[in-house]
Amino acid sequence: MNLLQDFTRGLWKENPILVLLLGMCPTLAVTTNATNGLGMGVATVGVLVGSNLVISLIRNIVPKKIRIPVYIVVIASFVTAVDLLMKAYAPPALNDALGIFIPLIVVNCIVLGRAEAFASKHNPLRSLLDGLGMGLGFTLSLTVLGGVREFLGSGSLFQIKVITAWTEECMLPVSAPGAFIILGCFLAGMNYLNIRRAVKRGEVYIPPQGLGCHHCRLCDIGKITEDS
Amino acid sequence: MNKLKNTENILILGLFLGVIGSIAALALAYIADLTKQPITDMKTQAVNSALRQVLPEFDNDPGQNRVVVKSADKQGYDVIFYGALRNKQLVGIAGQSVSLKGYSGKIQAIVGLKPDGTIRTVGTINNTNKPISAVLITEHKETPGLGAVVCDRVRKKTIFNMFKTADDANLPPPNPILDQFADLKPGKIPWKTVKEGGTLKYVTGATISSNAIAEVTYRIANTFASERSKIIAALTPAANNVIKEVKP
Repeated sequence: MNLLQDFTRGLWKENPILVLLLGMCPTLAVTTNATNGLGMGVATVGVLVGSNLVISLIRNIVPKKIRIPVYIVVIASFVTAVDLLMKAYAPPALNDALGIFIPLIVVNCIVLGRAEAFASKHNPLRSLLDGLGMGLGFTLSLTVLGGVREFLGSGSLFQIKVITAWTEECMLPVSAPGAFIILGCFLAGMNYLNIRRAVKRGEVYIPPQGLGCHHCRLCDIGKITEDS
Repeated sequence: MNKLKNTENILILGLFLGVIGSIAALALAYIADLTKQPITDMKTQAVNSALRQVLPEFDNDPGQNRVVVKSADKQGYDVIFYGALRNKQLVGIAGQSVSLKGYSGKIQAIVGLKPDGTIRTVGTINNTNKPISAVLITEHKETPGLGAVVCDRVRKKTIFNMFKTADDANLPPPNPILDQFADLKPGKIPWKTVKEGGTLKYVTGATISSNAIAEVTYRIANTFASERSKIIAALTPAANNVIKEVKP
């Protein structure tokens, strides 16, 4: 049961984009269409699963004071290795589609955030499931966000035109301000659904306890935390 | 284990970081060594398939029939010229060079040239007279959805023809930024986008990438124009198909 929760938490309850609001810069820059959102998501799943696993394996021997530099070394090595391997062995079409996203993963704070908040405290299996769930939640929201922006921008989905009569491109949803507006609508919709579900059960909706900082804690870097 | 985890000894901390760094470096060095050859092979393949798109029909191996020239501008970058032969006649030249002014660094382009130095047109867009130019970006790291839009040639599909093969499937897909170079001949003034005081179009949100593409395309065309006779001499069959370095 606990294992299943580790996996599903990233999909909805602590979705990295829609709830934790982590990794905004690659998100907003990349999701101009659904294909790019999916590509960025898949590339991130790979790195997130790998780095969570390795960091969980070495969690008991890393001195607390230098854990962040160690995690960064692990993550950066992972990204570089995946980049090299994809260039060498992936079919050219796949590499063209995914390869450009790999260097962007380094600047994605979900990877470091999960390493610090989850993988450094839990066993490898749970960390692996957490990485997988978080990665899939990330992929899902990126693809949907990209799909909405692409559809509003040019009437196409996955770069296939759905409304052929739509010839002029609309700039707003494809540009950065449009990304913020649509993301805002997503967040409002997410809250609306959660509140409605709570009302149906006859409760008052309270945001998940402790959603404040425990998922990320990047601002605690440099401090020695008491509870861990 | 707990001792190591809570240690405050700066020497041990430094040593630990050094060990982790060395392990990562060793692993990466091993992977880099392992993938060196496959990556070069992939790149050669990519260049060859790009050459097939920008050159007219040929019966030699342009990847082997090539010459390296220093570019005519101040930067002095390497420009590689490939010669396409048919019946031992030079029918087309493709130039390959880089611009380092892309948003994320290097942008590499391959440009097909006619023997007189104008940029080739490989075909026209369906049902229109708009030309498709022989300009291809073979390597870039621009942001997907922004800078990549002006670099990539992507075939547009609609829901009605998504499973049909396009009528122009053998042509590179159109891209308005790359296609505006069709039939241009390099003059004294470098090609620039409107944003930089020139005449070429650019895409909002991809200004830097558009400028870089104009720069690398002009570098190739201009280098060919100024070293034309030497390059043609080196690429015609009498030169015996060996790679030669031409000093300007």
